[in-house]
Amino acid sequence: MSMRIAAAVLLMLVLSAPVTPQAPAAAQRPPQPPKSPKETAPIDLTGNWVSVVTEDWRWRMLIPKKGDYTSVPLSAEGRKLADMWDPSMLASDGCKAYGAAALMRVPGRLQIAWENDATLRIDTDAGQQTRRLYFDKSQKPRTERTWQGASAAEWDRITQPGGLGVSLQQGQGKPGALKVVTTNLRAGYLRKNGVPYSDDTTMTEYFDRLSAYGTDWLTVFTIVEDPHYLNQPFITSTHFKREPDRLKWMPTPCEAGTSSR
Amino acid sequence: MSLPAGQSLGVLILLTAGSAFAQIDLGGEWAATFHEDLQHRGGVRLGDYTGLPLNESGWRKAQSWDESARSTFERQCIPHVVTYAMRGPANIRFSKIVDPVSGELQAYSLLGSYGRPRTIWMDGREHPSPLAPHTWAGFSTGHWERNMLVVETTHIKTGWLLRNGAPTSDLATMTEYYTRYGNYLMLASFVNDPVYLDEPLIRTSNFVLSLTTNADAWGNCGPAQIIDELGGRPKGWVPHYLPGQTAHIQEFLTKSDVPAEAARGGAATTYPEYIVKLEKNDLDNRIFPPPAPGKMFPRIVSPQTTEANISATQGEIQVLPVQGNVYLLAGGGANMAVQVGEDGVLLIDTGDGKATDKVIAAIRKLSNKPIRFIVDTSANPDHMGGNERLAALGKAPGGGRASDSGGPGAMVFAQEAVLAQVSAPSGQKAVLPVGAWPTESYPDWKELSLNNEAIQIFHVPAAHTDGDSLVFFRRSDVIVTGDIFGTNTYPLIEKGGSINGVIDGLNRIIEITIPKDWQEGGTMVIPGHGRICDEADVVEYRDMVTIIRDRIRDAIRKGMTLDQVKAARPTLEYDSRYGSDSGPWTTSMFIDAVYRSLAGK
Repeated sequence: MSMRIAAAVLLMLVLSAPVTPQAPAAAQRPPQPPKSPKETAPIDLTGNWVSVVTEDWRWRMLIPKKGDYTSVPLSAEGRKLADMWDPSMLASDGCKAYGAAALMRVPGRLQIAWENDATLRIDTDAGQQTRRLYFDKSQKPRTERTWQGASAAEWDRITQPGGLGVSLQQGQGKPGALKVVTTNLRAGYLRKNGVPYSDDTTMTEYFDRLSAYGTDWLTVFTIVEDPHYLNQPFITSTHFKREPDRLKWMPTPCEAGTSSR
Repeated sequence: MSLPAGQSLGVLILLTAGSAFAQIDLGGEWAATFHEDLQHRGGVRLGDYTGLPLNESGWRKAQSWDESARSTFERQCIPHVVTYAMRGPANIRFSKIVDPVSGELQAYSLLGSYGRPRTIWMDGREHPSPLAPHTWAGFSTGHWERNMLVVETTHIKTGWLLRNGAPTSDLATMTEYYTRYGNYLMLASFVNDPVYLDEPLIRTSNFVLSLTTNADAWGNCGPAQIIDELGGRPKGWVPHYLPGQTAHIQEFLTKSDVPAEAARGGAATTYPEYIVKLEKNDLDNRIFPPPAPGKMFPRIVSPQTTEANISATQGEIQVLPVQGNVYLLAGGGANMAVQVGEDGVLLIDTGDGKATDKVIAAIRKLSNKPIRFIVDTSANPDHMGGNERLAALGKAPGGGRASDSGGPGAMVFAQEAVLAQVSAPSGQKAVLPVGAWPTESYPDWKELSLNNEAIQIFHVPAAHTDGDSLVFFRRSDVIVTGDIFGTNTYPLIEKGGSINGVIDGLNRIIEITIPKDWQEGGTMVIPGHGRICDEADVVEYRDMVTIIRDRIRDAIRKGMTLDQVKAARPTLEYDSRYGSDSGPWTTSMFIDAVYRSLAGK
C-alpha cells in the first residue's frame, strides 16, 4: 500500500470519529434536554412586517376583473369555476380570499411572534387572520378544515445525501429557511375575483430573512398544489419589509359584507 | 494493495473537497416560472409602471421614452441590462468556475435571460474603480450567507426596470439573494438607484431546475447584424416624446382599471395603505399629471460621480488602463490620456497644473521615455494647466521643439482658436505664459504617428468652445473627447460654443466608435471628465442633450421666454444626475446657454 493511500485512509478514519455514537466524551456528559424550535431558530422571523407590492400590483391592490386569472395555472375545472364568479359576490365572499393559500399575497401587515417554544404565530391586519405554525410533530394534526388549515413547521437544513465523505463535511447541514406545510384547508380564492383553490390543496412555504441597503426583509416562497383546480404547482414569492412598530396596523375583518380589502 | 472502488472514491472526495463543498449547489439550468407579474416580464404596456417606486425623475424619463429608440442603429443590439435581465422572460444557467490547480471555486458563471454573461467573482476581489467602464451585466462579487448566495453588482450601464422606458441610471447598484429550496430557486433582487427611484426596488423571481433548458442559445449581435430599421430618419435622430405628449401612455389607462396616479408608480403606491386611497375611488383620473413646478432636484453625489475625481485630485492620480497603449490619468483636474510605447509618450491634456508632480510620477510608472507630443483638446485651464512644466520636461522627435529654435521640449498641438485664446501679441499680457502655449496649431485636423500608431485629431466647430478637438488612437481604438463629452455634468458651453455644436460633436464621436458586439466595448472613449466609456454611454449622453435641446427649441417656437422655459423644467429627469445649483456650471447656466444658442440671442 502506498504511503499516499495509507494517509488518505487514516484521514478518513480520523474524520469519521466525531460522528461515532460511542464517542467517550459524549458518554461522560449528562443527557441534555433537546433544545426547542425557538431556541434552535437559525433566523429570527419575529417582528412587524409590511408587504411591499412591487409585483402583481394590478391583481393584488385592485380587485381583478371577472375572468382575469392571468398567470395562475388553472385547470379547465378551475377556469370554469373562476368564470362563474361575479363582482356581486364580493359582499358575500367574506374570508374566501384570506385563506392560507392566498393570505401572504394580500397587501397588509404581519406580526410574527412565538406563541410558545414550539409554535410560531402570524397575525395579519388584512382580514384579521391568525396562522399558527406548529413545530411539535407529536401533536395530532387537526382534522377540521379552516381558512388557515393545519401548518406543520420545521427549520429546513440543506444537507447532501449521506454519501461517504460528503456527509462528514456537511455535519448537520447548512441552516436554511423555515419550511411550513399546510393542509386541511377550507376551499377559498387565490385572488379576490374568485380564482379558486379546493379543500384538497396542499401548500408548502419557505420563510427566509435577508437584508439589503439597510433594510430587513422577510421573503415567503410559496408552492400551492391543488389536484382539482390547478394543472401545475402555483409558485409565487412574496416580500415584506420590517417595520419598527405597529403604528400602521390597520385591522380589517373579512367576514361577509365587512370589507373588500 | 488496492482499495475497493467505493473507498477510493470516498478518499478522493475527502482529499479534493474544498470550499466548493461548503456551498449549496446552484449549478445547472433553471427555467423561469411566470406565475406572478407576467405582464411586466415581456411585452409590458407603455404607461404601466404599477408597483415601481419611480420618483418624479424616473416617471418623467419613462414618459418621454419612445419605443422607436430600440430601432435606431445604436440600440438594435442592446441586450437586457442586468437590472431587468434576471426578471426578463428567460431561463438561466449557473456554472462553477473552478481553479484547475487548487480546485477552489473562483466564480460562478450566470448565463441567459437575454442578458450578457455574468461572472460572479467568489474569490474576494474588490470592485473596480468608479472610473472603470460600465457594462450591461455590471461587475458582480458574491459570498454565502447561510443558505443564500449574495451577489453585489456595480458598474451597470444606464438601463431600465421594465421594457417600457422605466429607467435605471448608471449610478444604480444591485444586491441579489439566490436561495435554493429543493428543486426551486428563488431570486430576491434589489435595485438601488438614487437617481430614478424613491427607494430600492425589490422583486422576487422564481425558477425551477430543468433538464431540458438551454439558457445560452441567443447567438450574437454586432455591427454586422445592424440594419436600417427606420428608413428615412436622419442620422443622430433621437426618438422621444415632448412633455405633454401622453397619448402613447394614455392607452394603458383606458384599457385597465388603474388610475393615472397609480399607473405612474411611486413608492407610496406599493404599500397596503394605498388601497384605502383606491377604495375611496377618488383616483378615477384618466390623465397623467404634468410635472409639478418646483426647484430642481439636488444632484446625487456618489462615488461614481464627481466625488471620484475630487478625491483623486486631493489624493493620488488614478491610472487606469483603457485599451492598447492608452491609459487614463484622472484626478488632476480634467481627465488626461497617455499613450506610451518605444517612441515615447503622447499626452492628451495636462490637467489643472495643481498636481503636475504626481502626474509626472504617474507617467514615469508607465514609461521612462520622453514626452514627445502634447495635445490640448480645448483652452480650458483644467485641461492645459500643466502644459508649461510637462512640455518643458519632454523632447520632441528630432531633438527640438519645432517652433522655438530646436530647444528641448515636447511639441504641443491644439486647434488654432486655443492658441488665440491663451496667447497675446507681443507686449500684451496673455492668459498663459509662453511656455504653456501650443507650439503647433491647426484649423480643422491634424495627423500624428507615434509608437507605431496613427493618431487623428479632429476639430469640432462651435461645440463646448470654438477650439475643441477629438483625438482618435486608431490602433488602440480609443477616442479622447475633451469636454464635448463628460459623464458628470451637462455640457459646458462657453467661448464660442453652441448646443448644436455639442450635439454634432457627440454624433461625430458615435460615428467613429464601433462597438465590439452587443453594443458594448470595441472603441473606448475617455471623456473630459468622468469614467471610461464606450459608444453606448455616449449615445445615452447624446440622447439626453438632444432631448433637452428639442424641448427648449419647442418652447422657443411656442414663444416662451427664458424664465418660462426654466419654470417648465426641461432638464427635470437629468438634474439629479448631471445638474448643479451651485459651482461654476449650474443647471440654470446650462439652460441659459442652450436657450441663447438656439434663439440666437
